[in-house]
Amino acid sequence: MNFRINIANRIVFFILFLFAIEFFSAQNNSGTLKIKIHPVFNQTQLILSDHGYINTHGDSVYIDDFKFYLCKLCLKKEGANSFCEVESYHLVDAEDSVTQTIVIKNIPEGTYSNFSFNIGVDSLKNVSGALTGDLDPIKGMYWAWNTGYIAARIIGHSKVCKTLHNEFEFHIGGYLSPYNSLRKNSIKLDDLKIVSSKTTVLELYADVAEWFKTPVTIDVSKTNSVVLPNKQAMIMANNYSDMIKFKKSINP
Amino acid sequence: MKYKRIHILVLSAFVIFICSAFIFTNEKEIKFFVPKGWPKPNYDFKNNPLTLNGFDLGKELFYDPILSSDSSISCASCHLSFTAFTHADHKLSHGIQGLIGTRNSLVLMNLVWNKSFMWDGGVNNLEVQAINPITNPVEMNSKLVDVIARLNSSSKYRRLFYKAFKDSVVNSQKLFKSLAQFTGNLVSYNSKYDSIMRHEGNVEFTVSELNGYSVFKKNCSSCHTEPLFTNNSFENNGLSLDTVLKDFGRMKVTQSKSDSLKFKVPSLRNIEFSAPYFHDGRVNKLKDVLEHYTSGVIQSPTLASQLKQNVNLTKQDKKDLIAFLKTLTDKYFLYNLQYRQNIYQ
Ligand code: HEC
Ligand code: HEC
Repeated sequence: MNFRINIANRIVFFILFLFAIEFFSAQNNSGTLKIKIHPVFNQTQLILSDHGYINTHGDSVYIDDFKFYLCKLCLKKEGANSFCEVESYHLVDAEDSVTQTIVIKNIPEGTYSNFSFNIGVDSLKNVSGALTGDLDPIKGMYWAWNTGYIAARIIGHSKVCKTLHNEFEFHIGGYLSPYNSLRKNSIKLDDLKIVSSKTTVLELYADVAEWFKTPVTIDVSKTNSVVLPNKQAMIMANNYSDMIKFKKSINP
Repeated sequence: MKYKRIHILVLSAFVIFICSAFIFTNEKEIKFFVPKGWPKPNYDFKNNPLTLNGFDLGKELFYDPILSSDSSISCASCHLSFTAFTHADHKLSHGIQGLIGTRNSLVLMNLVWNKSFMWDGGVNNLEVQAINPITNPVEMNSKLVDVIARLNSSSKYRRLFYKAFKDSVVNSQKLFKSLAQFTGNLVSYNSKYDSIMRHEGNVEFTVSELNGYSVFKKNCSSCHTEPLFTNNSFENNGLSLDTVLKDFGRMKVTQSKSDSLKFKVPSLRNIEFSAPYFHDGRVNKLKDVLEHYTSGVIQSPTLASQLKQNVNLTKQDKKDLIAFLKTLTDKYFLYNLQYRQNIYQ
């Protein structure tokens, strides 16, 4: 092992600082977007644990836990490159309203027509070792024995499930083909305007009903535990890939 | 506008002046050493800058039972330095309250060259490996949240984390990165074999070792490839399925039948001291390992093609092969005091 005191650090730091100043002073004509996510079952607000909902198969299901990663948030306007949030990784938890609001700053002014996102964490972050913030494994959306992030999960119960406590659980993850759970999607916006130094609001639904619906109708009496990256997990991921829906936007 | 720019510049120069005082107190960096002729490591310390304080913190944590739920088990309980950091004498590792795990503890050395971790390769990065023993109910049985809380409420650790990361708040990232600074630095490259390969002094193989080396190159090195003595792949080397443990190895991770009964090809460095052998520790002596390759290989669809026919070794070949394997023992590594428990504090 060799030892040396790092003075080069100091110079690099100085230069980075100058760049940072240039960067922020150049971002004058930019505004803020506040995204609000409403967990729902079909069009009704999701109430955890105590409220039964009828799924597409016709069974009454109770949802006890609903979490997912919403990542790589991008906005697109006509004739321009997309604006994408940097380090865009958000764990949304139906139980924690703080996680249901995402604020993105420094978005260039303009009228945007498309919002795109990933449900799940990209493969690069899955192999990047110990991370922090919403990607901290302490959040519980992480498999240790077969390392990787859980993209989305619901835990619930239904009396048609002949399991312990009538429970069903879907922990959907995996980043390696053929069982890559990452799903990209986008929604059309109705002329969402970002205005300099103002805040625009975008409201979205996260619809749990989609998990059970299309393309494959899920019968929880038969499918009640999907907890590994496998074929069943891909079916679930396809099902929920369209669970994020437009509610409304409020321009400043 | 222009005036404002100058204003900002002056202000920032001041801020930088203040900040650089802290940067300057940044700890001594350790440069990771790649032995001559070895491949580029897979783990990159660029994303986990190595410092003496980071390494020392990792070591402190490695030897401290604070990571287990009842403060009885440390990493070192299963990974002992003088057996190349494996659990000698235990077939399957023993964890909290004597609970027995399902696999034989692995050696910890040259980890930064690994492409994946564990016998089935289920872990993709050295940093996140530690989540497994810490949270495994039959190993350390802790909740990650509790471990972080315990460390945050220890004034000793707040001080050590501050020294290592210039921030005394403990989070899982800092815990895992400091452990990786310690375990990633466990490098074994000073065996007799290495001295000979590097033409150091007048060290030479004995006649028996030399014959063992050629037997090895003929029969073993396709998997146990030099210089790390593993090719980092997963193979079925013909062990029978243990009917109690029912461990199918790699298949559990990939869900693919073609990976049934495949396990990590382990390095053979320091093999003289890391008994018992194989993923479930079923064999105690090197001569029994050779017995397996010469007459115990079980045929099955995923068996490695090199082993479809039993390896043919004479009695002399076996003796020589074992003599060669013993030249992979690295006393500098096994007795390196830098790897032992900190005795200050
Ligand atoms: C109860 C015994 C036990 C404890 C405690 C333990 N380990 Fe392990 N360790 C094992 C076993 C068994 C394996 C192999 C597991 C497998 O393949 O499933 C292993 C594997 C590893 C590996 C992977 C090596 C490789 O080449 O793939 C690393 C790294 C490791 N342990 C580090 C640690 C650290 C760091 C700690 C403390 C936080 C720790 N271990 C605590 C038993 C233990
Ligand atoms: C087809 C690849 C392959 C070949 C060829 C091969 N091995 Fe192995 N070896 C393995 C695998 C895989 C394991 C781990 C098996 C397990 O525990 O399930 C292993 C394990 C071992 C172990 C036990 C290591 C430990 O830490 O537990 C020793 C010793 C060993 N081999 C020696 C040899 C020798 C000597 C030869 C040549 C006669 C040889 N091997 C040929 C793949 C191979």
